[in-house]
Amino acid sequence: MTLTETIQQFNTIFIDILDNDDIHLEEDTIAEDVEEWDSLTNIQLIVAIEKHFNIRFTADEIDSYKNVGEMCQGVISKL
Amino acid sequence: MEKGAAFSKEFNITAKLHSEFLALFEDNNPMHTDTAYARKHGFEEKIMHGNILCGFLSYFVGECLPTKNVIILSQKINFCKPFFIDDIIDLRVIVNDIYESVNLVELKFKFIKKSNLLLIAHGKLEIQILK
Repeated sequence: MTLTETIQQFNTIFIDILDNDDIHLEEDTIAEDVEEWDSLTNIQLIVAIEKHFNIRFTADEIDSYKNVGEMCQGVISKL
Repeated sequence: MEKGAAFSKEFNITAKLHSEFLALFEDNNPMHTDTAYARKHGFEEKIMHGNILCGFLSYFVGECLPTKNVIILSQKINFCKPFFIDDIIDLRVIVNDIYESVNLVELKFKFIKKSNLLLIAHGKLEIQILK
């Protein structure tokens, strides 16, 4: 799976979890760029991503991701 | 908590519980307050508010788990059968999955009427164990 495809799938997950059809994720998108993306919704996003891709992150991996692109790369490395 | 761990808790549907729920939330729909009306619509008695069960879920998460450092993140419940005053209901909970990256525990639950083992409701809870 390419990075672009992964970001597209992230985008669908974010729209669903955050209930905001206007979300357009980019590689460098961070939580501050998305109004509804806070500490609580972050948990739901991570669980939804783990379920969608059938992968598991560690807490250290989550802490290390600085933006959407890095998290997508983390997903790709687990597929 | 480990995946597969099971818990249970018994609850009594008392007249006091029913009247206090009515007083708190003021849902006085006749289905919940008028036996004749409920019978007219096919029930044997006035039916209890399904969301009484949500109160039991709150009690279970807050008081019955091995840790108090816990919050409910999401909850889904499907109501299957009505329940009535004086019913005794078993809440049966199993740890369905654990997401260690975010300390999230997914619980599956069932409410079962003790007298005839009817499934009253079932669903899923997501709780977070706080550090």
